[in-house]
Amino acid sequence: MTEIFSSLYGQPDSQGPSGPSALGFGSGKPQVPQNMGPMCFPHQMVDEGGPIRKPSAMNEPFYLLRELPMENELTGHTNLITHYNLEHAYNKFCGKKVKEKLSNFLPELPGMIDSPGIQDNSSLRSLIEKPPVCNNSFSPLTGVMLTGFRLHTGPLPEQYRLMHIQPPKKKNKHKHKHHRPQDPLPPETPSDSDHKKKKKKKDDDPDRKKKKKDKKKKKNRHSPDHPGMTGAQPSGNSLR
Amino acid sequence: MAEKFDNLEEHLEKFVENIRQLGIIVSDFQPSSQTGLNQKLNFMITGLQDIEKCRQQLHDINVPLEVFEYIDQGRNPQLYTKECLERALAKNEQVKGKIDTLTKFKSLLISELGKVFPEEMAKYKAIHGDDPPS
Repeated sequence: MTEIFSSLYGQPDSQGPSGPSALGFGSGKPQVPQNMGPMCFPHQMVDEGGPIRKPSAMNEPFYLLRELPMENELTGHTNLITHYNLEHAYNKFCGKKVKEKLSNFLPELPGMIDSPGIQDNSSLRSLIEKPPVCNNSFSPLTGVMLTGFRLHTGPLPEQYRLMHIQPPKKKNKHKHKHHRPQDPLPPETPSDSDHKKKKKKKDDDPDRKKKKKDKKKKKNRHSPDHPGMTGAQPSGNSLR
Repeated sequence: MAEKFDNLEEHLEKFVENIRQLGIIVSDFQPSSQTGLNQKLNFMITGLQDIEKCRQQLHDINVPLEVFEYIDQGRNPQLYTKECLERALAKNEQVKGKIDTLTKFKSLLISELGKVFPEEMAKYKAIHGDDPPS
């Protein structure tokens, strides 16, 4: 068996097509003639991908034996999370349960932010694909311009009333309990009117009552989290 | 670097709060609220100016577009980070498995070839050096 192997790949002295043809394998691989110069490579011998060995090296015991590639220090064999010191991040995001909704990430942001942006044409994707055409700088409004913002007195029409309604937040309850000084309080008049409006709206829509009751039941089922306390952390990491 | 984000975050929070108060004023407008409304409108513009100034400090920050898809769907963007880490770990384990399997195969092949072709394998080892056992 070893004799056949040696004859196949040839000793330095044995050349020519006698090896494969003697074994009856047909044409087999092309043999390199000894009289070729150092720069003459047969077309079949040139390998575009890897390093090309010198013709003198063709006489070495193994045909087309390439040099091993340079070893990289960093391969998939290493735990890359440990290598890049991401263990803390991994435990933070994958060790604990991350809440699904956007409002859990930004609890202090007003409005209905959990609904898809496509519904009310407020998606970030549309903003990137079609940026609004505007001037390069922001200039304050003059007195003449401000006259355009004179509004009619009275409440908004019903079709626009739902736009500013926020989902019930847990932080309101925690505010009364923990007296958080962080949240800036709105002016008294608007806040009072807002509470009055909310109370009025509660009386007006029985459907909202049912929805809020359901939400309260869900809150009682789950363990009391403190999104107000965690609100500072995600907001601190939101832009990282 | 955290200071840049804190500064921008502060401006954004003030801006959002101003907008919220503006919405409250508009929701039930009274003639006496006109001056307050005008003030809030000008605060909105100064807020945008402040945010514009913060942009220069953050020109080297890149945000992947996939995060915007999460936000547009109303999902927590931290889920994107979580899924990135999980995918990276899974791929890391997959590649490590391939490396380990190929290393074992190489050592097994060398040992078997050494049994069948001892002289040739000795020449091969002389060229490439002894491979450490897996």
